[in-house]
Amino acid sequence: MVPPELVFGCGHTPHDLNNHVPTSECVPRAKLCAWTATWRDMLLRGELRVDRLVVVAGGDCHNALVDGQRVAHSGIPTHYFFYPFDGNEGEMRDHLVSLEAFLGGITDQAALDGVADIKDLCIQLDMARCRRQVLGSRVFNHLIQLCDLGGDPERFGASVKRALEDRPSDVPDIRIGLVGVPPIYPDFHEVCESFGMQVVFDELPWEFARMGGRTLTTMARNYAGYTFARDLEYRFDALERELGRRRVDGIVHYTQYACHHVLEDDMLRERLDLPMLTVQGDLPRICPEQERLRLEAFAELLRGGGP
Amino acid sequence: MIGLDLGSTRAKLVRVVDGEVEFRSEVISPRWRELLDMVEAGESIATTGYFRHQVDGAEAITELTAARWGIRRLVPDAEVIVDIGGQDTKVQDLRTNRFVLNDKCSAGTGAFLEMVANYFDLGVEDLAAVASEAREPAKINSTCAVFAMSEMVSQLGGGASQADVVAGMHHSFAHRIAELVPEAERIVLVGGGARNGGLVSELSSILEVDLHVPDHPAFVNALGAMEYMTSSSPKV
Ligand code: SF4
Repeated sequence: MVPPELVFGCGHTPHDLNNHVPTSECVPRAKLCAWTATWRDMLLRGELRVDRLVVVAGGDCHNALVDGQRVAHSGIPTHYFFYPFDGNEGEMRDHLVSLEAFLGGITDQAALDGVADIKDLCIQLDMARCRRQVLGSRVFNHLIQLCDLGGDPERFGASVKRALEDRPSDVPDIRIGLVGVPPIYPDFHEVCESFGMQVVFDELPWEFARMGGRTLTTMARNYAGYTFARDLEYRFDALERELGRRRVDGIVHYTQYACHHVLEDDMLRERLDLPMLTVQGDLPRICPEQERLRLEAFAELLRGGGP
Repeated sequence: MIGLDLGSTRAKLVRVVDGEVEFRSEVISPRWRELLDMVEAGESIATTGYFRHQVDGAEAITELTAARWGIRRLVPDAEVIVDIGGQDTKVQDLRTNRFVLNDKCSAGTGAFLEMVANYFDLGVEDLAAVASEAREPAKINSTCAVFAMSEMVSQLGGGASQADVVAGMHHSFAHRIAELVPEAERIVLVGGGARNGGLVSELSSILEVDLHVPDHPAFVNALGAMEYMTSSSPKV
Protein backbone atom coordinates (compact mmCIF):
# COMPACT_ATOMS: atom_id res chain seq x y z
CA MET A 1 0.00 0.00 0.00
CA VAL A 2 1.05 3.61 -0.60
CA PRO A 3 0.76 5.59 2.68
CA PRO A 4 -2.38 7.69 2.07
CA GLU A 5 -1.64 10.10 4.95
CA LEU A 6 1.52 11.18 3.17
CA VAL A 7 -0.30 11.80 -0.09
CA PHE A 8 -2.99 13.89 1.63
CA GLY A 9 -0.32 15.62 3.74
CA CYS A 10 1.48 16.68 0.55
CA GLY A 11 -1.70 18.30 -0.70
CA HIS A 12 -2.72 15.61 -3.19
CA THR A 13 -5.69 13.27 -3.41
CA PRO A 14 -4.79 9.58 -3.55
CA HIS A 15 -6.73 7.30 -5.79
CA ASP A 16 -6.22 3.58 -5.24
CA LEU A 17 -6.42 1.99 -8.68
CA ASN A 18 -7.01 -1.46 -7.20
CA ASN A 19 -10.41 -0.39 -5.93
CA HIS A 20 -11.59 -0.08 -9.53
CA VAL A 21 -10.61 -3.62 -10.43
CA PRO A 22 -13.33 -5.86 -8.85
CA THR A 23 -16.13 -4.06 -10.68
CA SER A 24 -14.18 -3.37 -13.88
CA GLU A 25 -15.24 -4.76 -17.23
CA CYS A 26 -11.83 -4.17 -18.75
CA VAL A 27 -10.33 -7.40 -20.13
CA PRO A 28 -6.55 -6.95 -19.94
CA ARG A 29 -4.50 -7.89 -23.00
CA ALA A 30 -1.32 -9.43 -21.65
CA LYS A 31 -1.69 -10.50 -18.09
CA LEU A 32 -0.35 -12.52 -15.21
CA CYS A 33 -2.28 -11.22 -12.19
CA ALA A 34 -5.58 -9.59 -13.14
CA TRP A 35 -5.27 -6.96 -10.40
CA THR A 36 -2.24 -5.17 -11.81
CA ALA A 37 -3.00 -5.92 -15.47
CA THR A 38 -6.48 -4.43 -15.16
CA TRP A 39 -5.43 -1.10 -13.68
CA ARG A 40 -2.51 -0.99 -16.11
CA ASP A 41 -4.80 -1.37 -19.14
CA MET A 42 -7.42 0.99 -17.69
CA LEU A 43 -4.71 3.64 -17.46
CA LEU A 44 -3.25 2.91 -20.89
CA ARG A 45 -6.71 3.01 -22.50
CA GLY A 46 -7.60 6.25 -20.72
CA GLU A 47 -10.48 4.65 -18.78
CA LEU A 48 -8.80 5.99 -15.62
CA ARG A 49 -6.89 9.25 -15.47
CA VAL A 50 -4.18 10.14 -12.95
CA ASP A 51 -1.61 12.96 -12.83
CA ARG A 52 1.09 10.84 -11.27
CA LEU A 53 1.48 7.19 -10.44
CA VAL A 54 3.04 5.68 -7.32
CA VAL A 55 3.71 1.95 -7.62
CA VAL A 56 4.53 -0.31 -4.70
CA ALA A 57 7.35 -1.97 -6.52
CA GLY A 58 9.10 -3.83 -3.75
CA GLY A 59 7.71 -5.65 -0.78
CA ASP A 60 4.26 -7.04 -1.31
CA CYS A 61 3.90 -7.42 -5.09
CA HIS A 62 6.30 -8.25 -7.91
CA ASN A 63 3.93 -7.98 -10.86
CA ALA A 64 3.17 -4.34 -10.09
CA LEU A 65 6.78 -3.40 -10.83
CA VAL A 66 6.52 -4.47 -14.48
CA ASP A 67 2.98 -3.27 -15.05
CA GLY A 68 3.90 0.07 -13.42
CA GLN A 69 6.80 0.45 -15.83
CA ARG A 70 4.49 -0.20 -18.79
CA VAL A 71 2.39 2.72 -17.58
CA ALA A 72 5.46 4.90 -16.94
CA HIS A 73 6.45 4.23 -20.54
CA SER A 74 3.25 5.92 -21.70
CA GLY A 75 4.45 9.20 -20.17
CA ILE A 76 2.74 9.30 -16.76
CA PRO A 77 5.25 10.50 -14.10
CA THR A 78 5.84 7.42 -11.94
CA HIS A 79 7.47 6.81 -8.58
CA TYR A 80 8.47 3.39 -7.28
CA PHE A 81 7.90 2.86 -3.59
CA PHE A 82 9.68 0.09 -1.69
CA TYR A 83 9.28 -1.69 1.63
CA PRO A 84 12.38 -3.14 3.30
CA PHE A 85 12.34 -6.92 3.64
CA ASP A 86 14.11 -6.82 7.01
CA GLY A 87 11.92 -4.15 8.61
CA ASN A 88 14.76 -1.62 8.79
CA GLU A 89 13.18 1.62 10.03
CA GLY A 90 15.92 3.88 8.68
CA GLU A 91 15.50 2.45 5.21
CA MET A 92 11.72 2.73 5.49
CA ARG A 93 12.13 6.39 6.41
CA ASP A 94 14.35 6.95 3.36
CA HIS A 95 11.63 5.53 1.11
CA LEU A 96 9.01 7.75 2.75
CA VAL A 97 11.25 10.79 2.33
CA SER A 98 11.78 10.03 -1.33
CA LEU A 99 8.01 9.60 -1.83
CA GLU A 100 7.45 12.91 -0.03
CA ALA A 101 9.91 14.58 -2.40
CA PHE A 102 8.12 13.13 -5.45
CA LEU A 103 4.87 14.57 -4.07
CA GLY A 104 6.36 18.03 -3.43
CA GLY A 105 6.74 17.92 0.37
CA ILE A 106 4.33 17.93 3.32
CA THR A 107 2.20 21.08 3.26
CA ASP A 108 -0.90 20.07 5.18
CA GLN A 109 -0.22 18.50 8.59
CA ALA A 110 -3.92 18.74 9.50
CA ALA A 111 -4.86 16.51 6.59
CA LEU A 112 -2.20 14.03 7.65
CA ASP A 113 -3.54 14.03 11.24
CA GLY A 114 -7.09 13.63 9.92
CA VAL A 115 -6.17 10.36 8.24
CA ALA A 116 -4.56 9.11 11.46
CA ASP A 117 -7.79 9.87 13.37
CA ILE A 118 -9.86 7.95 10.84
CA LYS A 119 -7.51 4.97 11.02
CA ASP A 120 -8.02 4.94 14.82
CA LEU A 121 -11.76 4.71 14.21
CA CYS A 122 -11.24 1.95 11.67
CA ILE A 123 -9.32 -0.10 14.22
CA GLN A 124 -12.36 0.16 16.49
CA LEU A 125 -14.59 -0.87 13.60
CA ASP A 126 -12.33 -3.84 12.85
CA MET A 127 -12.64 -5.10 16.41
CA ALA A 128 -16.40 -4.41 16.61
CA ARG A 129 -16.99 -7.21 14.10
CA CYS A 130 -15.34 -9.65 16.47
CA ARG A 131 -18.00 -8.69 19.02
CA ARG A 132 -20.68 -9.24 16.35
CA GLN A 133 -21.63 -5.57 16.40
CA VAL A 134 -21.13 -5.04 12.70
CA LEU A 135 -21.18 -7.26 9.63
CA GLY A 136 -17.80 -8.34 8.28
CA SER A 137 -18.75 -7.20 4.78
CA ARG A 138 -19.38 -3.66 6.01
CA VAL A 139 -16.04 -3.57 7.82
CA PHE A 140 -14.19 -4.91 4.79
CA ASN A 141 -15.81 -2.35 2.49
CA HIS A 142 -14.44 0.40 4.74
CA LEU A 143 -11.00 -1.00 5.52
CA ILE A 144 -10.25 -1.77 1.89
CA GLN A 145 -10.83 1.90 1.11
CA LEU A 146 -8.19 3.01 3.58
CA CYS A 147 -5.66 3.28 0.77
CA ASP A 148 -7.37 6.42 -0.49
CA LEU A 149 -10.35 7.05 1.82
CA GLY A 150 -12.51 7.36 -1.26
CA GLY A 151 -10.62 10.58 -2.04
CA ASP A 152 -12.72 12.40 0.61
CA PRO A 153 -11.61 11.83 4.23
CA GLU A 154 -14.49 13.79 5.72
CA ARG A 155 -17.15 11.77 3.98
CA PHE A 156 -15.30 8.56 4.58
CA GLY A 157 -14.87 9.32 8.30
CA ALA A 158 -18.62 9.98 8.62
CA SER A 159 -19.35 6.65 6.97
CA VAL A 160 -17.03 4.84 9.43
CA LYS A 161 -18.83 6.49 12.36
CA ARG A 162 -22.22 5.40 11.02
CA ALA A 163 -20.95 1.84 10.65
CA LEU A 164 -19.78 1.97 14.27
CA GLU A 165 -23.13 3.23 15.52
CA ASP A 166 -25.51 1.03 13.52
CA ARG A 167 -26.31 -2.40 14.87
CA PRO A 168 -27.13 -5.18 12.42
CA SER A 169 -30.17 -7.32 13.17
CA ASP A 170 -28.36 -10.55 12.50
CA VAL A 171 -24.69 -11.53 12.38
CA PRO A 172 -23.56 -15.00 11.22
CA ASP A 173 -22.05 -17.12 13.97
CA ILE A 174 -19.19 -18.96 12.21
CA ARG A 175 -16.01 -16.86 12.51
CA ILE A 176 -13.72 -16.81 9.50
CA GLY A 177 -10.28 -15.32 8.98
CA LEU A 178 -9.57 -14.26 5.40
CA VAL A 179 -5.86 -14.60 4.72
CA GLY A 180 -3.90 -13.58 1.61
CA VAL A 181 -4.57 -10.84 -0.90
CA PRO A 182 -8.13 -9.44 -1.01
CA PRO A 183 -10.58 -11.40 -3.20
CA ILE A 184 -11.11 -10.02 -6.68
CA TYR A 185 -14.83 -10.89 -6.37
CA PRO A 186 -16.72 -7.83 -5.12
CA ASP A 187 -19.40 -9.88 -3.32
CA PHE A 188 -17.08 -12.35 -1.59
CA HIS A 189 -17.86 -11.28 2.00
CA GLU A 190 -21.59 -11.18 1.34
CA VAL A 191 -21.43 -14.69 -0.11
CA CYS A 192 -19.64 -15.90 3.05
CA GLU A 193 -22.37 -14.28 5.13
CA SER A 194 -25.09 -15.94 3.08
CA PHE A 195 -23.61 -19.28 4.20
CA GLY A 196 -23.48 -18.23 7.84
CA MET A 197 -19.83 -17.15 8.00
CA GLN A 198 -18.79 -13.79 9.41
CA VAL A 199 -15.35 -12.64 8.25
CA VAL A 200 -13.76 -11.39 11.49
CA PHE A 201 -10.30 -10.86 10.00
CA ASP A 202 -9.13 -9.53 6.64
CA GLU A 203 -5.38 -9.77 6.50
CA LEU A 204 -4.43 -6.96 4.13
CA PRO A 205 -7.18 -4.49 5.10
CA TRP A 206 -6.11 -5.02 8.73
CA GLU A 207 -2.65 -3.85 7.72
CA PHE A 208 -4.14 -0.81 6.01
CA ALA A 209 -5.79 0.21 9.29
CA ARG A 210 -2.97 -0.45 11.71
CA MET A 211 -0.14 1.14 9.73
CA GLY A 212 0.11 4.92 9.74
CA GLY A 213 1.45 7.78 11.82
CA ARG A 214 1.53 11.54 12.15
CA THR A 215 5.23 12.13 11.48
CA LEU A 216 7.71 10.53 9.12
CA THR A 217 9.39 8.88 12.09
CA THR A 218 6.24 7.20 13.45
CA MET A 219 5.21 6.30 9.93
CA ALA A 220 8.60 4.72 9.31
CA ARG A 221 8.24 2.66 12.50
CA ASN A 222 4.75 1.43 11.64
CA TYR A 223 5.17 0.82 7.92
CA ALA A 224 8.43 -1.07 8.52
CA GLY A 225 6.28 -3.69 10.26
CA TYR A 226 4.11 -4.32 7.18
CA THR A 227 3.92 -8.10 7.45
CA PHE A 228 3.18 -8.73 3.78
CA ALA A 229 6.55 -7.26 2.87
CA ARG A 230 8.52 -9.11 5.56
CA ASP A 231 9.84 -12.66 5.79
CA LEU A 232 7.19 -15.35 6.10
CA GLU A 233 8.01 -16.28 9.69
CA TYR A 234 7.37 -12.71 10.77
CA ARG A 235 4.09 -12.66 8.88
CA PHE A 236 2.95 -16.07 10.14
CA ASP A 237 3.68 -15.05 13.76
CA ALA A 238 1.50 -11.99 13.31
CA LEU A 239 -1.23 -14.06 11.68
CA GLU A 240 -1.21 -16.60 14.47
CA ARG A 241 -1.59 -13.84 17.06
CA GLU A 242 -4.40 -12.07 15.24
CA LEU A 243 -6.35 -15.21 14.35
CA GLY A 244 -6.09 -16.44 17.94
CA ARG A 245 -7.17 -13.11 19.38
CA ARG A 246 -10.22 -13.09 17.12
CA ARG A 247 -11.06 -16.72 17.91
CA VAL A 248 -11.63 -17.78 14.31
CA ASP A 249 -13.23 -21.16 13.56
CA GLY A 250 -11.60 -21.51 10.16
CA ILE A 251 -9.43 -19.78 7.58
CA VAL A 252 -10.15 -18.99 3.97
CA HIS A 253 -6.91 -18.46 2.07
CA TYR A 254 -7.70 -16.40 -0.98
CA THR A 255 -5.12 -16.69 -3.74
CA GLN A 256 -4.94 -14.91 -7.05
CA TYR A 257 -4.02 -16.67 -10.28
CA ALA A 258 -0.41 -15.94 -11.27
CA CYS A 259 0.41 -14.28 -7.94
CA HIS A 260 3.53 -15.49 -6.15
CA HIS A 261 1.61 -15.59 -2.84
CA VAL A 262 -0.10 -18.78 -4.18
CA LEU A 263 3.11 -20.59 -3.23
CA GLU A 264 2.52 -19.79 0.44
CA ASP A 265 -0.55 -22.02 0.67
CA ASP A 266 1.19 -25.19 1.86
CA MET A 267 3.30 -23.27 4.34
CA LEU A 268 0.24 -21.61 5.81
CA ARG A 269 -1.46 -24.98 6.15
CA GLU A 270 1.54 -26.39 7.96
CA ARG A 271 1.80 -23.45 10.27
CA LEU A 272 -1.77 -22.51 11.14
CA ASP A 273 -3.54 -25.25 13.02
CA LEU A 274 -7.07 -24.46 11.85
CA PRO A 275 -9.40 -25.81 9.16
CA MET A 276 -8.45 -24.02 5.96
CA LEU A 277 -10.09 -23.59 2.59
CA THR A 278 -8.11 -22.30 -0.37
CA VAL A 279 -9.91 -20.32 -3.03
CA GLN A 280 -8.36 -19.04 -6.24
CA GLY A 281 -9.70 -16.22 -8.37
CA ASP A 282 -8.61 -14.82 -11.69
CA LEU A 283 -10.64 -12.19 -13.53
CA PRO A 284 -12.92 -9.79 -11.66
CA ARG A 285 -16.54 -10.94 -11.61
CA ILE A 286 -19.33 -11.90 -9.24
CA CYS A 287 -18.22 -14.84 -7.09
CA PRO A 288 -18.56 -17.88 -9.42
CA GLU A 289 -20.75 -20.87 -8.65
CA GLN A 290 -17.86 -23.22 -8.00
CA GLU A 291 -16.32 -20.89 -5.40
CA ARG A 292 -19.73 -20.62 -3.77
CA LEU A 293 -19.87 -24.40 -3.60
CA ARG A 294 -16.50 -24.49 -1.87
CA LEU A 295 -17.56 -21.85 0.63
CA GLU A 296 -20.89 -23.55 1.33
CA ALA A 297 -19.17 -26.92 1.84
CA PHE A 298 -16.63 -25.28 4.15
CA ALA A 299 -19.43 -23.72 6.19
CA GLU A 300 -21.09 -27.13 6.48
CA LEU A 301 -17.82 -28.63 7.65
CA LEU A 302 -17.25 -25.96 10.29
CA ARG A 303 -20.79 -26.33 11.50
CA GLY A 304 -20.16 -29.95 12.25
CA GLY A 305 -21.72 -31.30 9.06
CA GLY A 306 -19.11 -34.04 8.94
CA PRO A 307 -19.94 -37.43 10.30
CA MET B 1 -37.56 -40.88 2.84
CA ILE B 2 -36.01 -39.69 -0.39
CA GLY B 3 -32.45 -38.63 -1.20
CA LEU B 4 -31.97 -36.77 -4.45
CA ASP B 5 -28.61 -36.04 -6.07
CA LEU B 6 -29.35 -33.48 -8.76
CA GLY B 7 -25.95 -33.51 -10.46
CA SER B 8 -24.73 -31.57 -13.46
CA THR B 9 -25.21 -34.41 -15.96
CA ARG B 10 -27.36 -37.02 -14.19
CA ALA B 11 -29.97 -36.92 -11.44
CA LYS B 12 -30.31 -39.81 -9.03
CA LEU B 13 -32.94 -40.77 -6.49
CA VAL B 14 -32.85 -43.25 -3.62
CA ARG B 15 -35.73 -44.17 -1.35
CA VAL B 16 -34.96 -45.62 2.05
CA VAL B 17 -37.55 -47.47 4.06
CA ASP B 18 -36.78 -48.77 7.56
CA GLY B 19 -33.10 -48.04 7.03
CA GLU B 20 -32.83 -50.09 3.84
CA VAL B 21 -32.56 -48.80 0.29
CA GLU B 22 -35.80 -49.83 -1.37
CA PHE B 23 -35.53 -48.16 -4.73
CA ARG B 24 -33.06 -46.30 -7.02
CA SER B 25 -33.73 -44.32 -10.14
CA GLU B 26 -31.65 -42.17 -12.50
CA VAL B 27 -32.38 -39.75 -15.35
CA ILE B 28 -30.34 -37.23 -17.32
CA SER B 29 -30.20 -33.92 -15.46
CA PRO B 30 -32.41 -31.82 -17.77
CA ARG B 31 -35.22 -34.24 -16.82
CA TRP B 32 -34.58 -34.23 -13.06
CA ARG B 33 -38.11 -33.04 -12.26
CA GLU B 34 -39.44 -36.41 -13.43
CA LEU B 35 -37.88 -37.90 -10.31
CA LEU B 36 -40.18 -35.78 -8.18
CA ASP B 37 -43.15 -37.71 -9.61
CA MET B 38 -41.87 -40.72 -7.65
CA VAL B 39 -42.08 -38.89 -4.33
CA GLU B 40 -45.09 -39.86 -2.30
CA ALA B 41 -47.20 -37.32 -0.44
CA GLY B 42 -45.67 -36.39 2.90
CA GLU B 43 -42.33 -38.03 2.16
CA SER B 44 -39.37 -35.97 3.36
CA ILE B 45 -36.69 -35.12 0.80
CA ALA B 46 -32.99 -34.33 1.12
CA THR B 47 -31.17 -32.91 -1.90
CA THR B 48 -27.61 -32.42 -3.05
CA GLY B 49 -25.89 -31.56 -6.34
CA TYR B 50 -26.00 -28.55 -8.65
CA PHE B 51 -29.78 -28.14 -8.58
CA ARG B 52 -30.13 -28.89 -4.86
CA HIS B 53 -31.75 -25.59 -3.96
CA GLN B 54 -34.52 -25.98 -6.50
CA VAL B 55 -36.74 -28.42 -4.63
CA ASP B 56 -39.21 -26.67 -2.33
CA GLY B 57 -39.26 -27.91 1.23
CA ALA B 58 -36.21 -30.16 0.82
CA GLU B 59 -33.15 -30.07 3.04
CA ALA B 60 -30.21 -29.18 0.78
CA ILE B 61 -26.53 -29.87 1.39
CA THR B 62 -23.44 -29.74 -0.84
CA GLU B 63 -22.15 -32.85 -2.61
CA LEU B 64 -19.07 -32.80 -0.39
CA THR B 65 -21.04 -33.17 2.82
CA ALA B 66 -23.39 -35.67 1.18
CA ALA B 67 -20.45 -37.84 0.07
CA ARG B 68 -19.05 -37.90 3.61
CA TRP B 69 -22.36 -39.07 5.05
CA GLY B 70 -22.95 -41.63 2.32
CA ILE B 71 -19.50 -43.10 2.77
CA ARG B 72 -19.82 -43.18 6.52
CA ARG B 73 -22.68 -45.61 6.04
CA LEU B 74 -21.08 -47.69 3.31
CA VAL B 75 -17.35 -47.65 4.10
CA PRO B 76 -16.96 -46.45 7.69
CA ASP B 77 -13.15 -46.71 7.73
CA ALA B 78 -12.58 -44.72 4.52
CA GLU B 79 -9.75 -42.18 4.62
CA VAL B 80 -10.16 -40.45 1.28
CA ILE B 81 -13.18 -39.99 -1.01
CA VAL B 82 -12.69 -39.38 -4.72
CA ASP B 83 -15.94 -38.28 -6.36
CA ILE B 84 -15.70 -38.22 -10.16
CA GLY B 85 -18.68 -36.24 -11.35
CA GLY B 86 -19.79 -34.94 -14.72
CA GLN B 87 -18.33 -31.44 -14.40
CA ASP B 88 -15.73 -31.76 -11.68
CA THR B 89 -13.77 -34.17 -9.53
CA LYS B 90 -13.82 -33.70 -5.77
CA VAL B 91 -11.29 -35.23 -3.43
CA GLN B 92 -11.79 -35.20 0.34
CA ASP B 93 -9.29 -36.27 2.94
CA LEU B 94 -11.44 -37.37 5.86
CA ARG B 95 -8.43 -37.47 8.19
CA THR B 96 -7.68 -33.76 7.82
CA ASN B 97 -11.02 -32.42 6.55
CA ARG B 98 -9.26 -31.00 3.50
CA PHE B 99 -11.00 -31.04 0.17
CA VAL B 100 -9.99 -30.05 -3.35
CA LEU B 101 -12.08 -29.62 -6.45
CA ASN B 102 -10.78 -29.91 -9.96
CA ASP B 103 -13.17 -27.62 -11.74
CA LYS B 104 -10.90 -25.35 -13.77
CA CYS B 105 -10.22 -27.90 -16.51
CA SER B 106 -12.38 -30.71 -17.85
CA ALA B 107 -9.41 -33.09 -18.23
CA GLY B 108 -10.11 -34.78 -14.88
CA THR B 109 -13.90 -34.89 -15.07
CA GLY B 110 -16.63 -37.08 -16.51
CA ALA B 111 -17.08 -34.53 -19.32
CA PHE B 112 -13.69 -35.57 -20.68
CA LEU B 113 -14.64 -39.24 -20.88
CA GLU B 114 -17.86 -38.24 -22.59
CA MET B 115 -15.89 -36.32 -25.23
CA VAL B 116 -13.83 -39.43 -25.90
CA ALA B 117 -16.91 -41.68 -26.07
CA ASN B 118 -18.74 -39.26 -28.37
CA TYR B 119 -15.80 -39.13 -30.73
CA PHE B 120 -16.00 -42.89 -31.25
CA ASP B 121 -19.79 -42.87 -31.19
CA LEU B 122 -19.73 -45.06 -28.08
CA GLY B 123 -21.45 -44.83 -24.71
CA VAL B 124 -19.22 -43.87 -21.74
CA GLU B 125 -20.07 -47.25 -20.22
CA ASP B 126 -18.53 -49.02 -23.28
CA LEU B 127 -15.11 -47.38 -22.89
CA ALA B 128 -13.73 -49.80 -20.33
CA ALA B 129 -14.51 -52.84 -22.52
CA VAL B 130 -12.89 -51.15 -25.54
CA ALA B 131 -9.79 -50.23 -23.51
CA SER B 132 -9.40 -53.80 -22.27
CA GLU B 133 -8.65 -54.88 -25.87
CA ALA B 134 -5.64 -52.59 -26.03
CA ARG B 135 -2.29 -54.12 -26.99
CA GLU B 136 -0.10 -51.09 -26.52
CA PRO B 137 -1.91 -48.14 -24.89
CA ALA B 138 -1.17 -44.90 -26.75
CA LYS B 139 0.86 -42.23 -24.96
CA ILE B 140 -1.22 -39.10 -24.39
CA ASN B 141 0.90 -36.46 -22.71
CA SER B 142 -1.29 -33.40 -22.68
CA THR B 143 -2.92 -32.38 -19.43
CA CYS B 144 -5.48 -30.24 -21.25
CA ALA B 145 -8.65 -31.98 -22.47
CA VAL B 146 -8.74 -30.18 -25.80
CA PHE B 147 -5.09 -30.86 -26.60
CA ALA B 148 -5.45 -34.45 -25.40
CA MET B 149 -8.24 -34.89 -27.94
CA SER B 150 -6.04 -33.60 -30.75
CA GLU B 151 -3.20 -35.84 -29.58
CA MET B 152 -5.64 -38.73 -29.69
CA VAL B 153 -6.60 -37.92 -33.29
CA SER B 154 -2.92 -37.76 -34.32
CA GLN B 155 -2.32 -41.13 -32.69
CA LEU B 156 -5.19 -42.59 -34.72
CA GLY B 157 -3.75 -40.91 -37.82
CA GLY B 158 -0.42 -42.58 -37.02
CA GLY B 159 -2.07 -46.01 -37.04
CA ALA B 160 -2.93 -46.64 -33.37
CA SER B 161 -6.03 -48.74 -32.82
CA GLN B 162 -9.20 -47.43 -31.21
CA ALA B 163 -8.58 -49.68 -28.19
CA ASP B 164 -5.00 -48.42 -27.75
CA VAL B 165 -6.12 -44.83 -27.93
CA VAL B 166 -9.02 -45.28 -25.49
CA ALA B 167 -6.71 -47.06 -23.05
CA GLY B 168 -4.22 -44.18 -23.39
CA MET B 169 -6.96 -41.70 -22.66
CA HIS B 170 -7.95 -43.62 -19.53
CA HIS B 171 -4.37 -43.50 -18.38
CA SER B 172 -4.04 -39.77 -18.95
CA PHE B 173 -7.40 -39.15 -17.26
CA ALA B 174 -6.43 -41.24 -14.25
CA HIS B 175 -3.17 -39.29 -13.98
CA ARG B 176 -5.01 -36.01 -13.72
CA ILE B 177 -7.10 -37.34 -10.88
CA ALA B 178 -4.19 -39.03 -9.12
CA GLU B 179 -2.47 -35.65 -8.77
CA LEU B 180 -5.26 -34.57 -6.44
CA VAL B 181 -5.30 -37.68 -4.23
CA PRO B 182 -3.29 -37.72 -0.98
CA GLU B 183 -1.46 -40.87 0.08
CA ALA B 184 -3.80 -43.21 1.95
CA GLU B 185 -4.62 -46.88 2.44
CA ARG B 186 -8.39 -46.68 2.22
CA ILE B 187 -9.45 -44.68 -0.82
CA VAL B 188 -13.06 -44.84 -1.95
CA LEU B 189 -14.24 -43.93 -5.43
CA VAL B 190 -17.77 -42.61 -5.93
CA GLY B 191 -19.75 -40.77 -8.61
CA GLY B 192 -20.52 -41.71 -12.20
CA GLY B 193 -16.81 -42.02 -13.09
CA ALA B 194 -16.44 -44.87 -10.58
CA ARG B 195 -18.62 -47.05 -12.85
CA ASN B 196 -15.85 -47.08 -15.44
CA GLY B 197 -13.78 -50.17 -14.63
CA GLY B 198 -10.96 -49.14 -16.98
CA LEU B 199 -10.51 -45.90 -15.12
CA VAL B 200 -10.67 -47.57 -11.71
CA SER B 201 -7.90 -50.02 -12.56
CA GLU B 202 -5.69 -47.30 -14.12
CA LEU B 203 -6.11 -45.10 -11.08
CA SER B 204 -5.48 -47.99 -8.77
CA SER B 205 -2.20 -48.87 -10.49
CA ILE B 206 -1.00 -45.24 -10.52
CA LEU B 207 -1.79 -44.81 -6.82
CA GLU B 208 -0.47 -48.29 -6.02
CA VAL B 209 -3.41 -49.08 -3.78
CA ASP B 210 -6.62 -51.11 -4.11
CA LEU B 211 -9.43 -48.67 -4.59
CA HIS B 212 -12.73 -49.38 -2.98
CA VAL B 213 -15.82 -48.84 -5.13
CA PRO B 214 -19.08 -49.30 -3.22
CA ASP B 215 -22.10 -50.85 -4.94
CA HIS B 216 -24.00 -48.22 -6.89
CA PRO B 217 -21.27 -45.57 -6.59
CA ALA B 218 -23.30 -42.96 -8.46
CA PHE B 219 -25.97 -43.08 -5.73
CA VAL B 220 -23.69 -42.48 -2.75
CA ASN B 221 -24.38 -38.75 -2.58
CA ALA B 222 -28.15 -39.17 -2.82
CA LEU B 223 -27.94 -41.68 0.02
CA GLY B 224 -25.61 -39.37 1.97
CA ALA B 225 -27.98 -36.40 1.70
CA MET B 226 -30.69 -38.57 3.20
CA GLU B 227 -28.40 -39.92 5.92
CA TYR B 228 -27.48 -36.38 6.85
CA MET B 229 -31.13 -35.38 7.10
CA THR B 230 -31.90 -38.24 9.44
CA SER B 231 -28.80 -37.77 11.59
CA SER B 232 -28.98 -36.06 14.94
CA SER B 233 -25.88 -33.95 14.38
CA PRO B 234 -26.13 -30.13 14.27
CA LYS B 235 -27.84 -28.96 11.11
CA VAL B 236 -26.50 -26.59 8.48
S1 SF4 C 1 -2.59 -10.52 -6.22
FE1 SF4 C 1 -0.39 -10.82 -6.03
S2 SF4 C 1 0.45 -10.32 -8.04
FE2 SF4 C 1 -1.62 -9.49 -7.94
S3 SF4 C 1 -1.42 -7.39 -7.24
FE3 SF4 C 1 -1.73 -8.63 -5.44
S4 SF4 C 1 0.30 -9.20 -4.70
FE4 SF4 C 1 0.50 -8.46 -6.79
